[in-house]
Formats: sequence, structure tokens, C-alpha cells
Amino acid sequence: MSTRSTVYKGKTGQWAFVLHRISGFLILMFILLHIIDISTINFPSVYASIHRLYGNVLMRTFEVGLLFGLTYHALNGLRVIMIDFFPGVIKNEKRLFVAMLSLSLLLTVVGGVIILKPFFTGKV
Amino acid sequence: MALRERSFTSQRRNSTTMKRSKANFETWSWFFMRISGLILFFLALIHFSITHIFNDVTTTTVAFVAKRWANPLWRVFDWLLLALGLLHGSNGLRFIMDDYIRTPRRRAFAKALMYSLATVLFVVGTITIVTYKGTL
Repeated sequence: MSTRSTVYKGKTGQWAFVLHRISGFLILMFILLHIIDISTINFPSVYASIHRLYGNVLMRTFEVGLLFGLTYHALNGLRVIMIDFFPGVIKNEKRLFVAMLSLSLLLTVVGGVIILKPFFTGKV
Repeated sequence: MALRERSFTSQRRNSTTMKRSKANFETWSWFFMRISGLILFFLALIHFSITHIFNDVTTTTVAFVAKRWANPLWRVFDWLLLALGLLHGSNGLRFIMDDYIRTPRRRAFAKALMYSLATVLFVVGTITIVTYKGTL
């Protein structure tokens, strides 16, 4: 498919939308997994062995990714709500996107350090 | 005066009935996404902070959950997160399916599968939260 066939020109609004969609989809997939793993609470040994996996460095990295998805989806969702309910906001839509993306990256870095720290200090 | 007013409104109702009843579901869906999104903003971020930031994920053991769920308010919190998360998420996935699955039959199949899965997980999650009898 040629790039001409799309009406999108790759501006911020489009990237905000694409990221919102991908992060939302991945969060939903995690919710499905999370409902299953919590439902094993009545089988404590199964629950414990699943939850040991969450402490694994690979899963910790995945949790940092989840944190980015969550914070981005949450903050960009606020941006969408603001645009929908306050007509003047659309003029600052681009700056707002940059602000929300930066804030979610900042929160991810701070949270990421906390989540990954036990791995580097050898606690897990 | 009153008569004229009534005839005016009934006329208006008649002329917009078709349009309105068609737009209604999507309008409510749009509104629901904003309201549930706003509530989930707090629920999801608080939940993640508790289980990954203020406590290390390896400490979220059975005992951890049992202690939390000893307070019914945390069960309500978690159930709201379950219900709103699934509704908000599956409605979002419905948008995605409408956009990318082009044939009506495949779209109907995908949605049926998604609604079934979401319903099953909602039931499983609700049973887990409501019936858990933790021993501390």
C-alpha cells in the first residue's frame, strides 16, 4: 500500500491516537492474564509459583512497559477528555501531547528504577 | 400556547426519532469511555502503585492479598477495577475490531468471541473477589 492511500500525515494527533490504541490493547491483554493469575488464589502453591515469575527480570522489564502503557493511556485519556469537553483546548493539543508523553516517560523512568532495582542489588 | 408547544415538541420528536435512536448507543458508549476512563485513571494507577511501587511485586503473596481483602472496601476497589477495566477495555477493542476487521461475518465472529471471553473472565474475577475466604 502506498503512503498516498492514507489521509493521515503522521502529525502528533495521529501518533497520540496510535499510541493510545496500542497501549489500550496491551493493557487489556494484561488484564485478561491478571484475572486468571489472581483466580489461582484458592490454590496457594499455584499462585506462589506464578507470582515468583513476576519477580523475574524479564517480567520486571515487562512491568516497566506496562507502567509506560498505563501512564501514557491515562494521561493521554485526560488529554482526549479535555479536548472533548473544553473547546479551547484543541489549540494546545500538540503541546498537551508532548507534555503528557514527557510526563508518562518521566513516571516510567522513576517507577522503572524502583521496579528494576531489586534485580541490580541482587535481591531477586 | 401550551397546545402549540406540545405539537412543536412532538413534531420534533417525530422528525429526529430515527436519527436519535441510531446514534444513542454510540453516544452512550462515547460518554461511558470518558467517565470510566476518569475513574480508571485513579483506580488503575493506585492499584499499580500499591502492587509494584510501594511494595515489591515479589511481596504480593497469598498472605498479602488475604490481608488486603480482609477489608471489604479493598474488595469493592478491586471489583470496580475488574468491572470497569473489562468494560472500558472490551469497548475499546470493539472500536479496534470495527476499524480493522472488514468483512461483517468475521467482525461478528470476533466480537462474539470477545464478549464471551470478557463475560467468562468477569464471572471468574467476581467469584474470586467475592468468595475468597482468606486465612491469615
